[in-house]
Amino acid sequence: MYGTQSKRDLALEFQSQIPILRPSIHSRRANLTVKFQDLYMFTVEGNVDDVNVLNEVREKVRKQGRVWWALEANKGANWYLEPSISEGIALKSSLKFSTLANAITLKRLIRKGIPPLLRPKVWFSLSGAAKKKSTVPESYYDDLLKAVEGKVTPATRQIDHDLPRTFPGHPWLDTPEGHAALRRVLVGYSFRDSDVGYCQGLNYVAALLLLVMKTEEDAFWMLAVLLENVLVNDCYTTNLSGCHVEQRVFKDLLAKKCPSRIATHLEALDFDVSLVATEWFLCLFSKSLPSETTLRVWDVLFYEGAKVLFHVALAIFKMKEDELLLTHHVGDVINILQKTTHHLFDPDELLTVAFDKIGSMTTNTISKQRKIQEPAVMAELDQRLRRLNSLKLEDK
Amino acid sequence: MARTSNKNIQAKLVVLGDMGTGKTSLVLRFIKGQFNDYQESTIGAAFFTQVLSLNEATIKFDIWDTAGQERYHSLAPMYYRGAAAAIVVYDITTMDSFVRAKKWVQELQKQGNPNLIMFLAGNKVDLEKKREVEFEEGEQYAKENGLVFLETSAKTAQNVNELFYEIAKRLVKSSPPTRPGGMKLHRGSRGTERRLFCCSV
Repeated sequence: MYGTQSKRDLALEFQSQIPILRPSIHSRRANLTVKFQDLYMFTVEGNVDDVNVLNEVREKVRKQGRVWWALEANKGANWYLEPSISEGIALKSSLKFSTLANAITLKRLIRKGIPPLLRPKVWFSLSGAAKKKSTVPESYYDDLLKAVEGKVTPATRQIDHDLPRTFPGHPWLDTPEGHAALRRVLVGYSFRDSDVGYCQGLNYVAALLLLVMKTEEDAFWMLAVLLENVLVNDCYTTNLSGCHVEQRVFKDLLAKKCPSRIATHLEALDFDVSLVATEWFLCLFSKSLPSETTLRVWDVLFYEGAKVLFHVALAIFKMKEDELLLTHHVGDVINILQKTTHHLFDPDELLTVAFDKIGSMTTNTISKQRKIQEPAVMAELDQRLRRLNSLKLEDK
Repeated sequence: MARTSNKNIQAKLVVLGDMGTGKTSLVLRFIKGQFNDYQESTIGAAFFTQVLSLNEATIKFDIWDTAGQERYHSLAPMYYRGAAAAIVVYDITTMDSFVRAKKWVQELQKQGNPNLIMFLAGNKVDLEKKREVEFEEGEQYAKENGLVFLETSAKTAQNVNELFYEIAKRLVKSSPPTRPGGMKLHRGSRGTERRLFCCSV
């Protein structure tokens, strides 16, 4: 019914054939823009320095892989999948010293990056996707696909429209096979949760999940756990209310966590942070950051939760603080932020700021902030709806 | 280059319309002279700048190209707030997109800047065979609502530059020659540079 195993493994094969790039003779000048492929085969534009950074990142990824293998040799294979570790330090009653030590090691290790080859296994387990899948019959995904086959809904029409518009030009995603796999995951999910149906943005998220996970079915479950457990509720439903809530929380955090002059300066320019941050939060940075950097963010996202998105978004502003303070115009702010995110080829550059320079935030604090913002968002959306409805009445 | 012009105008332009009508393609055709058959879907909105020089003035466009999916509607005010001009785009091959365009026009009339210069663009005229919305229909609606109407094709570039030049011309016309009261000035602006950002909603 859907692709054979070999087809579904294609995405993974691409990862193993990562070539080392050498800037061509024509592009030796650092200010020249060159096109090259990154670790997940996305074509990106940058200068020769960017190519060099990317080659260093490949080397770091390999080194990090060796760290993980060494730990496996030491602590036993799958040590990080023990439930007591993956469920964190919350289970105080069963807390043993070794468990605690492992949990701390794991958190630190994940912030330094999960090797691409281990990502499918580690994500699937630590995110809760494995647990979610285990609560339904083995054939759930196949049955779902069978049940929705041939059905046409507004969501499926929009999905079909977006398939060739999702990372066009990618050597696997932009092929009939890639489109078909992405379609099954998105259509399947649109029937699993009809409140979400299909929301633009999910196409990019699901596409990257397909590239990382070994199988299409696992990508589906990752999408499910992301929307149902990891991210704020109603992030992608009809009026994106969850997304509005996150934007307000982010605005508050920016004033608190970054030097207040940044927030003051941006406000004076009439710059609303959601002008840029909406896309960051809805696509989970997949449209803004280079692929390996995005996936490093997701490594932590799946282990530590949605607060990670705030850490990363704040870090981007923080990194460019000085430049941002010199701007006189909204357009300049946006250009600086766009240029910064597109060139963040070194994930550590971003994540070091995100986790060492922002100060700690707990999931609890974020939840409280959300509770505070929710009524205001609901009131605003409701008021808007009423105004639009009054337009319709006048029309009649 | 700037010597020939006596005015610098900074204007916020917002592009609205149903999903897949070619909003981003129109903007990219204007800015880069390029066209992709499959343009990445826009999430939230994309931001572009472009400078157009007319004899009378130089216009610096800040373009907000918005996402078309219905649920992104709730974000739109953030982008059209303070806009000096708007392009509402529909796809001549789908009637639904024309219906949606009318809704945008209504909303802008009610919520937007009262001096907003509004354009209606029926895009994809290269797909004449699949046409569902007749030229006259678009023209008629535009006339009734005081919009400037053009049929365009981002693919063949038909009427795309004309669209943006026409917007620029009207912006120049509507921009008062002297500093009026209540106009928001560019921070640290030099000389006659001024923004056409107007009152907020």
